[in-house]
Amino acid sequence: MKRKIKRIVEKPWFSSIIWILILIALWEVGAVVVSNTKRVPENILPHLHQILGAALSGKTVTADMTATQAVLSSAGLTLFRALLGFFLGAVIGFLFALLMKLSGVIEKMLFPYLMLIQLIPVLGLAPIVLAITGDINVSRVVIASILSFYPVATNTLAGFKSVEKEKYDLMFIYAAKPYYIYTKVLIPAALPYFFTGLKIAAPMAVTASILVDTLQGDGGLGCLLSQSLKHAMSIYVFWLIVFFSAFVGIIISKIIGWIEYGVSPWKRRA
Amino acid sequence: MEYEVKLKKVGRKKTLRQRIKENKSWQNLSTFIWPLVFGLIMIGLWQKEVLHSWFHTDTFTLPLLNKIGGIMGDIHEKLLENTISTVQVAFWGLLIGSLLGYLIAVFVAIFPKVGKGGLSVIGAFASVPVVAMAPVFNNWTKDVSTDAGFRSMVSKIIVVTLICAADMGLNAYRGLTEIKPYSEDLMAIYAAPKRVTLWKLRLPNSVPYVFTALKVSVPASIMTAIVSEYFAEYITGVGRQIRENIVLAQYSTAWAYIATACLIGVVAYIILMVLQSICLKRYH
Repeated sequence: MKRKIKRIVEKPWFSSIIWILILIALWEVGAVVVSNTKRVPENILPHLHQILGAALSGKTVTADMTATQAVLSSAGLTLFRALLGFFLGAVIGFLFALLMKLSGVIEKMLFPYLMLIQLIPVLGLAPIVLAITGDINVSRVVIASILSFYPVATNTLAGFKSVEKEKYDLMFIYAAKPYYIYTKVLIPAALPYFFTGLKIAAPMAVTASILVDTLQGDGGLGCLLSQSLKHAMSIYVFWLIVFFSAFVGIIISKIIGWIEYGVSPWKRRA
Repeated sequence: MEYEVKLKKVGRKKTLRQRIKENKSWQNLSTFIWPLVFGLIMIGLWQKEVLHSWFHTDTFTLPLLNKIGGIMGDIHEKLLENTISTVQVAFWGLLIGSLLGYLIAVFVAIFPKVGKGGLSVIGAFASVPVVAMAPVFNNWTKDVSTDAGFRSMVSKIIVVTLICAADMGLNAYRGLTEIKPYSEDLMAIYAAPKRVTLWKLRLPNSVPYVFTALKVSVPASIMTAIVSEYFAEYITGVGRQIRENIVLAQYSTAWAYIATACLIGVVAYIILMVLQSICLKRYH
């Protein structure tokens, strides 16, 4: 029995669970304190079971939807655009890195600006992109793709550059055509870097998409969030969105990790 | 008597293009010239309104550069005031968050068994969208002060702190643990106590990693400060002004604030680079 407990304690996920339990305990202590001192505790820190109850209850918060339905339906809208922008940004970022690897002039021309884009607060540009495109859906996709573009581009380029000289020499000895050098050496070498870029980009794309929602009342998670904050509907919708977006942010980087695991067989062997 | 020494070149003669390409000073020069060319082309396209026709927009939503510059000059007092507000939030959040993240990393490096799970929980914080956090802390800080400006600043700083702490914690932990195997063995041979190993080996080893973290978290702190301004109670800061001016359809003023936001980002990065070159001198 003792040994069994010890084996569980030594599992890597065990301490994660302990920490999550500690967080939950802290939250509940805070909630008890808040509910005894504040007039409207659910604005500040509701009990977790209250949030769970709101998620499961059948009461309608809008005309014909319960809280969970409302959150999920607008989440579909927001996340679809975030994903679309994310894919677009990732593909463009990858192509850019490839182009910069292919031509030294283009690399010299664009790399300083790539660093510059990183320093520009792109989310600050959200309102102006909305003004230029005029369409909230297009601007969601545009902002999400700009944000995912540069982590992917810089990381992939770093991946291309990480290839050792010996590998080039070997390819030269084989008299390999450039096409094969790219497909057999450079792109596989850059893949881990590419996925690092994706992992950085994904939560940013979600954030961007939610933020753009709040700019215009056209549905979506951000719109729902600001409505709920202004008490146009139950405040628990707000808490559901907070938990849901946190969950999405975490699960997306997990999913990318799984995809990376799937497409890089050399990782599985180790 | 003078002899002229003539060397006969072997092989094919190099073309002019190749010779230029291999010239050292041209290589150095070209790293400046090509970006400059690209920048000038973009400025030209902007000023001649070619960009406007590409994006199907007009000079009202995308004002010409000289107009933006003129407005920046006109409202420089207000610009400065809002810049100070944003920079304050980003700076204090960055400072507190990085210190916190570093302390957590040291704790985890000393007690790896307990801490490792904590680190992955903190890593999860990094992927929580800012928009979800900002309103929560707005509500939490309602009692901090009766001054709306002060309490909304506190809530913004908390958001920036969390984002920076996650980033610094993960990177500093790698710096404290990814040590050359021999140096760890050497410390063991010296029978150095854990405290000394930490002080003489782990902490110095983590310095470059700290700068890796800062390279991500300096731009991130400014971005986070700007986004949390959108949700803050008190109307101040560069990010909030961008939004307020767009709502009023004063696009040129909004662009002036956007340009300011970019400037803040660039200046902060340059400061970081200078600091890095000073601190990492002995590593090179």
